Amino acid sequence: MILIDGSQGEGGGQILRTALALSMVTGRAFRLTKIRAGRQKPGLMRQHLTCVQAAAQISSAQVIGAVVGSGEITFTPGAIRAGEYHFAIGTAGGTMLVLQAVLPALLRAGGPSVVVVDGGTHNKAAPPFEFFERALVPVLQRAGVHIEAQLDRHGFYPAGGGRLVVKVTPTTEARSVELLRRGAIVEMRARSIVSRLPRGIAVRELEVLCERLGLSEDRAEIVDVPSPKGPGNALVVEVRSEQVGEVFSAIGEVGKPAEQVASELARDVRAYVDAPGAVGTYMADQLMVPLAVLGGGAYTTGPLSEHAKTNMQMVKLFGVNVRADEDGTVRVGALPVS
Amino acid sequence: MTPKRVIFGLLGTTLDTGKSLNRWERWRPTVSLAQHDDFAVDRLELLYPRMGTSLAKLVREDIAQISPNTEVRLHLVDPRDPWDFEEVFTALHDFASAYTFDQENEEYLLHITTGTHVAQICLFLLAETKRFPAKLIQTSPAFKTNDPAGEYRIIDLDLSKYNSIAARFQREFSDNITGLKSGIATRNPAFNALIEELEHVAANSVDPILLTGPTGAGKSHLARRIYELKKHRRQVEGPFVEINCATLRGDTAMSTLFGHKKGAFTGAAADRPGLLRSAHTGVLFLDEIGELGLDEQAMLLRALEEKRFLPLGADEEITSDFRLIVGTNRELLHHVAEGRFRDDLLARINLWTFRLPALKDRREDIEPNLDYELVQFAKRTGRTVRFSTEARQRYLAFANSNEAQWTGNFRDLAASVTRMATLSPAGRITEPVSEAEILRLRSAWKTPTDKHSTIDICGRIMGEARASELDRFDRVQLADVLSVCQRSRSISEAGRELFSESRKKKTSGNDADRLRKYLARFGITWADVKPTAE
Repeated sequence: MILIDGSQGEGGGQILRTALALSMVTGRAFRLTKIRAGRQKPGLMRQHLTCVQAAAQISSAQVIGAVVGSGEITFTPGAIRAGEYHFAIGTAGGTMLVLQAVLPALLRAGGPSVVVVDGGTHNKAAPPFEFFERALVPVLQRAGVHIEAQLDRHGFYPAGGGRLVVKVTPTTEARSVELLRRGAIVEMRARSIVSRLPRGIAVRELEVLCERLGLSEDRAEIVDVPSPKGPGNALVVEVRSEQVGEVFSAIGEVGKPAEQVASELARDVRAYVDAPGAVGTYMADQLMVPLAVLGGGAYTTGPLSEHAKTNMQMVKLFGVNVRADEDGTVRVGALPVS
Repeated sequence: MTPKRVIFGLLGTTLDTGKSLNRWERWRPTVSLAQHDDFAVDRLELLYPRMGTSLAKLVREDIAQISPNTEVRLHLVDPRDPWDFEEVFTALHDFASAYTFDQENEEYLLHITTGTHVAQICLFLLAETKRFPAKLIQTSPAFKTNDPAGEYRIIDLDLSKYNSIAARFQREFSDNITGLKSGIATRNPAFNALIEELEHVAANSVDPILLTGPTGAGKSHLARRIYELKKHRRQVEGPFVEINCATLRGDTAMSTLFGHKKGAFTGAAADRPGLLRSAHTGVLFLDEIGELGLDEQAMLLRALEEKRFLPLGADEEITSDFRLIVGTNRELLHHVAEGRFRDDLLARINLWTFRLPALKDRREDIEPNLDYELVQFAKRTGRTVRFSTEARQRYLAFANSNEAQWTGNFRDLAASVTRMATLSPAGRITEPVSEAEILRLRSAWKTPTDKHSTIDICGRIMGEARASELDRFDRVQLADVLSVCQRSRSISEAGRELFSESRKKKTSGNDADRLRKYLARFGITWADVKPTAE
């Protein structure tokens, strides 16, 4: 039984998702205490509970403490079953977060799986679908996994109603992935997604982005969401370099000027472009678990975020050999195949 | 196992609306219940009016989208007038009564943000009185952000800080209640039927109404409710005027009722209109009408028939048009036979007679009236007092037993509740408090054992002449037996109490028969003891 203090570092929710993912893969049970202690609303939230239930379903786990508001949870996984799964996350919560918890296990399952997740596809505190499709999936493919991601419907807070479908076929011979140099930037594209909102918002956002990032107009595109489930707006910038693809995003909010949304995003993109690392802050965090589950690897990035540092502690708890060098290189060892 | 969370709520026909997708940008209270990440709802029981049918279905779809684990059940609850307290209260009360609450496996919340002001008050009161065994949940738009989920707050009515709201709502509620039954808590089918008939008569007749029944049975309370009902229906405009005829004596009786001119008698320093005149276009309630003097009876009869009467010392008759309700705890027929009551007046007021049962004859109403009296106490003092579960059980067990005679009927109950509530400054009536009250009631109702009372009961039942022939030796025993008989509902019940010790030893065969034979020795039958018993 691995004991985890949920109040350590940053990101109570991510501690849980990383623990679920690695527990399923390693077959080791864990007890997570002080879940989101010190937060205004402590304990498990509904979105976290959905992750727990999804993980339990895939690995036939025994779970104690899986209720909203619970400060402690014990998760004892069984065997991972590949197959077709359908999960729905309430409050238009991030579908990506469910994937974070369950996808690593399916990368190591005995056969192909199809996962359908309903909920929000473009959320504030989670990566958007484009990040998954354009940044993460290519890395997984390089490691040898056959994986496809498809966005069936967009879902924004608060209405939700989005759906993504992921088809994955595991590999028995995972390769180590190295993202040490970014190389020259090949292409930069901006996209404003509007769902049942005036196009003017998208126009204003893209004007600011193009100006700040030096993009020509033909690199900017407006996407009108077909048959929208509710209003929403997301702004996405994709940076393709010689060695790696990165995606940055911002979510429009009621009461927040479009120009501000765009200029904040431009700042994030600039920070990445101006720094030497191959991957951005968010990706640095998101790569640790999948790489550990596959064939390990290494990547360069800027200073690690608190989230990433916490995540590093987490993967170490489950026996992953991970270290961050002073030159900004993160090396992740492969989990021994159980 | 964590209990399931179930919320009851009314569809907000204004706040929950919105067909276009923009509705998601607004705070919609019912939908917001399912929008909080820290708050899981297993089931929502949504009450909607007929005109809100399509909206209710849309709200159900929206909730399914954002909260796949929430089951939404729709219930058509459609009071004709959503601003009428009576109708709304009845509709919600009926819903709550028909609902099967499973408090072992489910915890309930009552959403009070939607619905009319009237519905909110009714829900509050239904939760307060535990008809809905639920805490309240209040939703509100977000205070600082634009988050359409807004905020929610759970309110536990057991906390004393809500006492003043409870009292205020209670007041507002009773001020607006007009149906006869609404102010009268009853589970007794016979009494219920009586009230319904009375309501019908009160609404459709202008003739006098006669209320009989033992003292404290609630005649005065009922008379006032009849007045309120008539006033609500705009059948009367004037005031409710009430007088107990037992308090009227001599000249003052005449002038109190019919008024006088200045100088009509010594001390008549100014004109006085009199109660009949004051009740013009209103309702006059004369309690204990049997105590009214013969002269006053004649005047009253004339006032009823002609709507005119002559005040003392006046030269001209004055007119007054009022509805009359009279009360009595006596058999007016006896008074007629003794020449103390005019038969023509009796005939005039005896058209609609309603006999109010004693509290001990409708014991199932003790519990609802216990709650009612607690509410009354809260209204008077602004202090909400509740029983602890054990204290309530203990008190009700006693109140429903034969031992509790309730000789003063509701007056006894009201006084008893007031004593307990007053002695519970912390707002909770505990077991020691109810235990002490039970002792107090017991001693108050104890059959007095002094000589006079033993003579009384034997004399009353056998006639004083025959009773005086008894030896004191027999008379004391007989008196005790008779008093047990009188408070028992049947001869078997009396027998069980009187021969309880032999019963334990199983030496007694038929207690009722043994008692019947004993009474027969004195020439007394069960019918003599309980003349009204069937």
